[in-house]
Amino acid sequence: MRTSVWSVDTTQLLKGVLDLAVLAVLKDSDGYGYDILRRLREAGLTEVGDASVYGTLRRLFAAGLLTTYVVPSESGPHRKYYALNASGRDQLTRSGKTWRSFATTMDALLDDRGMAA
Amino acid sequence: MTVTGQEITDYVDRVRAALADLPPALRDELTEDLPEHLAEVAAEGDGALVDRLGPPEAYAAELRTVAGAEPGRRPARLRRLAAARDRAATQVRLLDRQLGPLFGHARVADFLRSLRPAWWLLRAWLAALLVGAMTDSDRSGLLPRFEGSAAGGLVLLGVAVVASLWLGRRSDGFTGWPRRLHLVGTAVLVVFSMSVLVDVHRNASSDLTTAYREASVGSRLDRVEDVFVYDQQGRLIRDAQLFDQNGVPIRLGFPNCIDTSGAVPAPRNAYPYCPQLAPFGPPVPAAPAPTATGAPTGAGAPTASGSPAPTATGPPAATAAPETTAPTPAR
Repeated sequence: MRTSVWSVDTTQLLKGVLDLAVLAVLKDSDGYGYDILRRLREAGLTEVGDASVYGTLRRLFAAGLLTTYVVPSESGPHRKYYALNASGRDQLTRSGKTWRSFATTMDALLDDRGMAA
Repeated sequence: MTVTGQEITDYVDRVRAALADLPPALRDELTEDLPEHLAEVAAEGDGALVDRLGPPEAYAAELRTVAGAEPGRRPARLRRLAAARDRAATQVRLLDRQLGPLFGHARVADFLRSLRPAWWLLRAWLAALLVGAMTDSDRSGLLPRFEGSAAGGLVLLGVAVVASLWLGRRSDGFTGWPRRLHLVGTAVLVVFSMSVLVDVHRNASSDLTTAYREASVGSRLDRVEDVFVYDQQGRLIRDAQLFDQNGVPIRLGFPNCIDTSGAVPAPRNAYPYCPQLAPFGPPVPAAPAPTATGAPTGAGAPTASGSPAPTATGPPAATAAPETTAPTPAR
């Protein structure tokens, strides 16, 4: 069997929390694909790619956590807006708790060994 | 906006192509409104899509990761098939090396390679047979013929041998369509060789039966000239008619004498043809006609001539010997 050692890199971490991040940026206002990508990058997730956001939106929509609506644009193509529905908000709350708990645990672990940043 | 609709279409096509191995439903779900999304992206800034989003293949790989479909993931059935194929290939390589010494080579493959010229000759012969069969489909056999001519067949065989050897020395370097053509040709010849085998086998077994049935080689009946039927008392029965189980008259022998009119009797279903040549009992004078002329004696009931029943006209045979006693040969 193949063994591999994973070093922590943002891309790997992002895979696990991208759903949560997209749900989070949609919490206060609806957004369309490129807009959501911009918000994530402005929030500091600079490594996230367009395909990741687009694919995540498709998947969350298919899972029934998002609703969509189309807004015509005067100077360009129509924009497809995504919005959280009740299930989405529910999911955001639960996943958010899980993440905080996990992050706290990791922080404590690193603090104990004097490795805090 | 510097991005054209054509550029978006092309980009989407390449993304979809890169995801071709995914189940169609999943691929459609991922790329359903990709054109609209890319149009939004294009409207947000300047520059070609490829410059801003990277190559479509990288975009597809990222989509795949997000969707949880790892690159190159195949259906379980295909994965098992591929694994089984790998295991089989490993086994074959192992056997190749283990059995090689049996054939005096490091590998069986080396031994088979040394047999290749033999295959080239066999292939030439098969090809000549095949061409011969195409020019003259009636004839079958193991000698090639060209339009029914054996000499033409030999020329054909010679040409085929030269061509096959020439091909054999070059076919290793074949790639692309010549290689495919070579494979297809080989397959055709192998299939054809099976049909040749079946044909030869059938001819061989039918030769056996037809030989006995038609030519009577080795049969005891082939030397029969005439048939003499005797009744229980050893009297020769004249004009006996022979039939098989289907009521078909049995024809045996041939008239070998001259009757009273000085002519050879015509073959007919009335034996014996030549009563005077009867092997047992006192020689019977040639009867002028098959009708009952002599006074019937013994148990044989006289009947009208022409009746299928035996007409007992002959004189009593040697003695009233029991039927178990073999009559003494007269000659």
